[in-house]
Amino acid sequence: MKHVTPVVRSQLAGEYVLGTMRGGARRRFEQFLKSDYALRAEVARWEADLTPMAERLKPITPPDHVWANIQARIGGANVATAAKTPAASWFDSVKFWRGFGMGAAALATVLLATLVTFRSNVETQDPMMLAVLEDGGNARMVVEQPKSGLLMVKMIKPWKTMADKSMELWVIPKIGAPRSLGVINDDGETKLAMTDMEVRLTDGTVFALTREDRGGSPTGAPTSSVLCKGTIARMPPKTDQNASKKSSSPI
Amino acid sequence: MADLDLNEKLAALLARAGLGDKNAFATLYDTTKSKLFAVSLRIVRERHIAEEVLQDSFVNIWNNASNYAVAKASPMTWMSAIVRNRSLDIVRRPHLEIQDEEEFFTLNLEDQSLGPQDQLTQGRDVAQVEVCLNGLEADQRQTISLAFFHGLSHSELSTHLNKPLGTIKTHIRRGLLKLKDCLNDHVEYTPQDGGRP
Repeated sequence: MKHVTPVVRSQLAGEYVLGTMRGGARRRFEQFLKSDYALRAEVARWEADLTPMAERLKPITPPDHVWANIQARIGGANVATAAKTPAASWFDSVKFWRGFGMGAAALATVLLATLVTFRSNVETQDPMMLAVLEDGGNARMVVEQPKSGLLMVKMIKPWKTMADKSMELWVIPKIGAPRSLGVINDDGETKLAMTDMEVRLTDGTVFALTREDRGGSPTGAPTSSVLCKGTIARMPPKTDQNASKKSSSPI
Repeated sequence: MADLDLNEKLAALLARAGLGDKNAFATLYDTTKSKLFAVSLRIVRERHIAEEVLQDSFVNIWNNASNYAVAKASPMTWMSAIVRNRSLDIVRRPHLEIQDEEEFFTLNLEDQSLGPQDQLTQGRDVAQVEVCLNGLEADQRQTISLAFFHGLSHSELSTHLNKPLGTIKTHIRRGLLKLKDCLNDHVEYTPQDGGRP
């Protein structure tokens, strides 16, 4: 590139930024760019001139799963929503959950056991219960109870958003009808807090998710088929600090 | 003219992202995603490809945020260039159906009178570029606009405009030269290096 005239260099840089330089020529030009400072400056000038025109395009909102995928690729914690629990990095990580192919109940149990073993001597609160909700063997959602009266719900692999529908979470007790725990966000994290949470969770064995009319089921009972479900793993009640440290199998 | 506040805010978010701050990166994404998605979609024309481009670009932005240099390009220009380059790298377009240029401008560009929010995301002096673009001959302007906004290659332009390849190349070459001369007459600052990822 050094042997071409400044005019031609500027011309080529312009065509590169304009986008008409394609394929092999584009790749060769990018090779030159790596080592040619002056050529990079030329490209930067064209970018400063032309690229702002692109910002005149009408904005189009990308779907939510794009952000979920970006987060998974940068190995990050979910930060799109403000809700945060202390030391919840494993709970937050989409990538972490996607890595698992084992059964939801088994996974939740192992995780609780692991948490008890590894975290009981740090100043974080172990979850009271945990469930990984699956759909045909794929982990789709995690529900965790960090403390009494509060549930944290994390979407791992979201469904397509439907404008007139909402996702509703249910707890299915050992005996009796499903009880609603509320509507959750289509993607990201949802914090469910209610005063009668413990009453609703009594004898709960399974969490399940359904798609209901916007705002939640009009009848108070699920009206559609289950999207995903998972068996609840519960932490044994703690008697004192040492009890949990010794426990290797909490269920 | 660009709103310095938003450019400063974006620059600050990029700087924090460069230090590994994921909250700052999330805000950066939320602030710019719709503009950048539109940029890519216009070139690649298929939503699922534009989604891939946006993903690749933001992973790239995350990995290179620490290389971004405020003095060398506005944050929006830097990110738009990444999205445009990625789009141009992967665009595959077997069937071509392009809107008429006039129709394109009517349908896809925002009003000349931009709202405050839109003015916020402007880079430098877009108006000046457009004045210069309008100063080109009709053929040159049409060819350059189609190439820039739709990402058409020389041969695609030739097919679409039904003109020989040589004529297309001439329109582009002369159009770019004239555009550059016009912009140089109104230059406000000269970036030294784009700090390319």
